Amino acid sequence: MQGSLRLRLFKEKLFLLSIAVLTIATVLPLFHIMFSIMIQGIPVLIKGGWGFLTGTLAPPGGGLGGIGPAIVGTFILTFLASLIGLPVAIFTGIYAAEYPNSLIGRATKTLLMVMMEFPTILVGLFVMDLVVLPMGSYSAIAGALSLAIVMMPYVAVYTDEALRNIPPKYREGAFSLGLTRAKVVFRVLVGLAKKGIMTGVLIGIAKVAGETAPLLFTAGGASRVYFDGLNRPVGAIPLLIYNLVQQPYTNYHEIAWGASLLLMIIFLALFLPIRLSLKEVKL
Amino acid sequence: MIVSNYKSDVELNLKSKTKYAIETENLNIYYGDHHVIKDVSLSIPEKVVFAIMGPSGCGKSTMLRAFNRLLELNESAKVSGDVKIFGKSIYKMNPIEVRRIVGMVFQHPNPFPHMSIYDNVALGLKLNKLVKSRKELDETVEWALKKAALWDEVKNKLEKPASALSGGQQQRLCIARVVAMKPKVILMDEPTSNLDPISTKKIEELIDELKKEVTIVIVTHSPAQAARVSDYVAFLYLGKLIEVGSTIDMFENPKEKLTEEYLTGRMG
Repeated sequence: MQGSLRLRLFKEKLFLLSIAVLTIATVLPLFHIMFSIMIQGIPVLIKGGWGFLTGTLAPPGGGLGGIGPAIVGTFILTFLASLIGLPVAIFTGIYAAEYPNSLIGRATKTLLMVMMEFPTILVGLFVMDLVVLPMGSYSAIAGALSLAIVMMPYVAVYTDEALRNIPPKYREGAFSLGLTRAKVVFRVLVGLAKKGIMTGVLIGIAKVAGETAPLLFTAGGASRVYFDGLNRPVGAIPLLIYNLVQQPYTNYHEIAWGASLLLMIIFLALFLPIRLSLKEVKL
Repeated sequence: MIVSNYKSDVELNLKSKTKYAIETENLNIYYGDHHVIKDVSLSIPEKVVFAIMGPSGCGKSTMLRAFNRLLELNESAKVSGDVKIFGKSIYKMNPIEVRRIVGMVFQHPNPFPHMSIYDNVALGLKLNKLVKSRKELDETVEWALKKAALWDEVKNKLEKPASALSGGQQQRLCIARVVAMKPKVILMDEPTSNLDPISTKKIEELIDELKKEVTIVIVTHSPAQAARVSDYVAFLYLGKLIEVGSTIDMFENPKEKLTEEYLTGRMG
């Protein structure tokens, strides 16, 4: 009796221990990434100073310069992608939530799920074929369109989920006041689902701010000139990192570390508020 | 048989009032293959409190939702037969028009929690363009809150969110929201089933006050509540109309055995 109890307690402890070890193993890479980016990136930011944020790329083998065009490019691409993607995505989400049993509504939901997991490099190729080849050049608008396509399923799925999670009593209440469907949705339900929809919007923005693959064949990259038109190539931080790391120059590797740290800061600044506000979404 | 007796009975009692607020003719409701309401024909006189009473799951709420075509939000619900509001078939009207005449109060108080107390009452008025000016809107909101016996409790915090009110206050806010639209009929789906006895008493007093101007159809599973608030009562069991008549008659002298069993608590 006593022996078997001791064995059970031992098994229980062993079980808890193995769960703890596996959990640490899962999150360890994340902390390792963050840690090494900080170790390598902070000295670069200190050395480069303010000029690192505003300057243009230094010549190979010659100092740090700055990554200004890439930072501005990332903000412009993200803004344009939001401008194109958010309205379409929010309306799509509303449609999927309002007509869940219609053929198109059901198909929309499934397709959005597929789109979320779709290899983003294929989105880049698609936009290259659609915009870059006819225009004959990489451009900001092609990059933004590519990012918009990547962003849309996240925003649409979150909008759909947020609307579906509204207790039916509010929908009934709104309809019982003699409101049209459009007024029920836009004057009552969207307001109730505001937090959920905002979460989707922020996740979509955070997602595309760090994307590289959709930009490879579309935005083109620019590190020595600032944004100079929608039809001109534009830089982006992830794209710059991708290009610099492949170069054989030490100063370019340093710049890449600095850029990585900045990208991580931008991503966390977008993501942390989302995680904190997610708790409040539950009605 | 009983239904037709009741009709003539009502006609005799209400010589001055020839109109019925709501009439159903052979109303059948199905959810998919499930037959929920079975061939119900009812006539509800104007400006009375009409209770629909029956055990849980007998189809009371479903039938109520047919009266303002809210049932159509549920795609699996199918209706046959007819429902008339003041003699006009609701299926020949736009559902939006029907819902402006026939307001509804729900089982769970459902003021919109993200809007202020004021906006909850003002929403229907504004979006249906029932008022012409800001001043008229303010006056109507105040009037409706007074009608719902809530004004004194909220007049100093109209801009506070509706979710800050207690359950009983929220339910009275929902009544104010409906009353503001000046409907001719108010449907109430077990409006007090989630409230404490004091809040319940307030709502019941309100119902008594409101029936001077509107017809109230109240669904309740409680015979005691039906006895307290209603002038007429219909007893529904498993989707069938078992008995209907004046409340006093039915409680003193139920004609059907099932009704008697329900009223005396031996069933349901």
